[in-house]
Amino acid sequence: MAFLEIKNLFVDLKNFKLKNINLKIDKKDYVTIIGPTGSGKSILLETIAGFYKPTKGKILIEQLDISNLPPEKRCISIVYQDFALFPNMNVYENIAYGLKKKEKNSRIIKEEVEKIAEDVGITNLLNRIPNTLSGGEKQRVAIARALVTKPKILLMDEPFSALDVRTKDSLRDLIENIVKKYETTVIHVTHDLDDVFRLANKTIIMKDGEIVQNGYVNEVFSKPLNDFVANFVGANVLKGEIIGKKDGYTLIKIGRFVIRSIDNANVGSKVKVYIRPEEIILSNDLEDSIVCSVEKIKRFNNILWIKLSNDCFTLNAIVTPNITEKRISIGNKIFIKFDPSKVRILEGNGC
Amino acid sequence: MQITFRNFCIFITLLFATIFFGLIISLFIIPSFTAILNSLQAKEMMYSLELSLITSAVSTIAVLTLAIPIGYALSRFSFFGKNFLKSILDLPIAFPELVLGLCLLVFFGQTFVGKVLNVLGIKIVFTKLGIIVAQVFTALPYSTRILCSTFESINPRIELVSRSLGYTEFETFRNITLPIAKEGILATTIISFARCMGAFGAVLVLAGGSYMYTETLPITIYLSLSYGNMDMAITSGIVLVIISFAAIYMFEKVDRGRTWHF
Repeated sequence: MAFLEIKNLFVDLKNFKLKNINLKIDKKDYVTIIGPTGSGKSILLETIAGFYKPTKGKILIEQLDISNLPPEKRCISIVYQDFALFPNMNVYENIAYGLKKKEKNSRIIKEEVEKIAEDVGITNLLNRIPNTLSGGEKQRVAIARALVTKPKILLMDEPFSALDVRTKDSLRDLIENIVKKYETTVIHVTHDLDDVFRLANKTIIMKDGEIVQNGYVNEVFSKPLNDFVANFVGANVLKGEIIGKKDGYTLIKIGRFVIRSIDNANVGSKVKVYIRPEEIILSNDLEDSIVCSVEKIKRFNNILWIKLSNDCFTLNAIVTPNITEKRISIGNKIFIKFDPSKVRILEGNGC
Repeated sequence: MQITFRNFCIFITLLFATIFFGLIISLFIIPSFTAILNSLQAKEMMYSLELSLITSAVSTIAVLTLAIPIGYALSRFSFFGKNFLKSILDLPIAFPELVLGLCLLVFFGQTFVGKVLNVLGIKIVFTKLGIIVAQVFTALPYSTRILCSTFESINPRIELVSRSLGYTEFETFRNITLPIAKEGILATTIISFARCMGAFGAVLVLAGGSYMYTETLPITIYLSLSYGNMDMAITSGIVLVIISFAAIYMFEKVDRGRTWHF
């Protein structure tokens, strides 16, 4: 039984529509929602919070229909990218605000506020007013304020996007630890795939107001359901034809090259093949390898992103430079291989 | 000195500020100090000053009571005909005050609504209540605009967070929106009061310019000019200028660093 269930949800905002949203989220899941700008991620989040009324469909928490409940009755907290702290209150009052609605005993309120302040590392900021805080501090306050009421679900709308890389990283650590400690179910809208890999166990991909794929992160990233998802999650998409089967592998002809996959497909069918950039293997031996030339190189911290091409296709690959750096320079020829278990086939959409 | 666009703009500003200042100062230098003092102590002046202060205070409260929900509705909610309503509410800004007064006179004097109110014992035409009604209609569009702009400047997500933390729409408005908007509300109070004190055309037509009955300070100027009592007219003008100056000064204090959209 799902903790949060969304059934056939439609939301009509005149200039934008959410269409036929179906979703099941278990208790303590950390779910990220990703998708291009304008895909409806934030509107879905705010509909769950109760800020938009569905035109059709249901939102259920623990089997209880909350679709028509006002936001204040849902027990769902939200954290925004612009923090949305109450400027007329200090940090202590910001955090205590939600608690005061539920708890009248000021001693208990004080204890709870101090406890969460310690957990998010803002004990020294309790008397400060919001506009004297840094971005990272403000977001810690917003997280504390959202969690102190022990919500059934914590919603986060791009909570790290206004922060610098270091702050972002420390807040990711904080979120990772604190949602575990508070056993919170989280739905987190993001544009940053690092958030997905670091924090989430499940992810949802949206496009034009619809969910195009959702599931466990590994599953979505390793087996995209269509071209859009593949492109969005950064997978390479190659067009080919199934030419036969051998030793339990399906043989796919891509231009003049033949590669293998463990996925099944009908011989003769035109297919699309998905390969993740980090699953491309740089090879030293020529056998079963494909030769490519290096077109572009970008360095990110401890990895290299390289664009490879030959006369049949173009690929993006992600490699660690320590073992390969010598061979990788623009214009060089290198050999690559694919692990058949990482080559995914989508039948019927080939060229 | 090189004539630049910057210098030209500053020159025009200085020129007109000086002319305005000269206009105001002329009020103070033409009559003798004794004449001003005598006029200030006159029964008529005391009456009109008191009436102006009382009616303006009541009108300001009424204006705020109306302008806060109107400003909030126009800034926060989407509803059918919102832009049309906004235009209707703004109309009195562009109207000559006399036309506004004429509309009020016809509405409260000739229409069914006016007659019903009359039967109920609520007399508006040519009464002190008429002064308040005229002042409210004169000041309301300005106040609505300032408050609409104030509420628009508040991040709506702050209110959404409050809702998610268990507070109803009204509780959120009371606990979060109003305290954040307090400077805007204070500015609105000052501007409304100044507008009510200075309201003339609408007050004259709806409440009538009755000597020592519906005689507010602007009406005193008008009546005094009619009788040829320049000292009384100028003294009333000086009182109004001082009140307006104090209001504008306070508004500027509150307004510092904020932007209102008129």
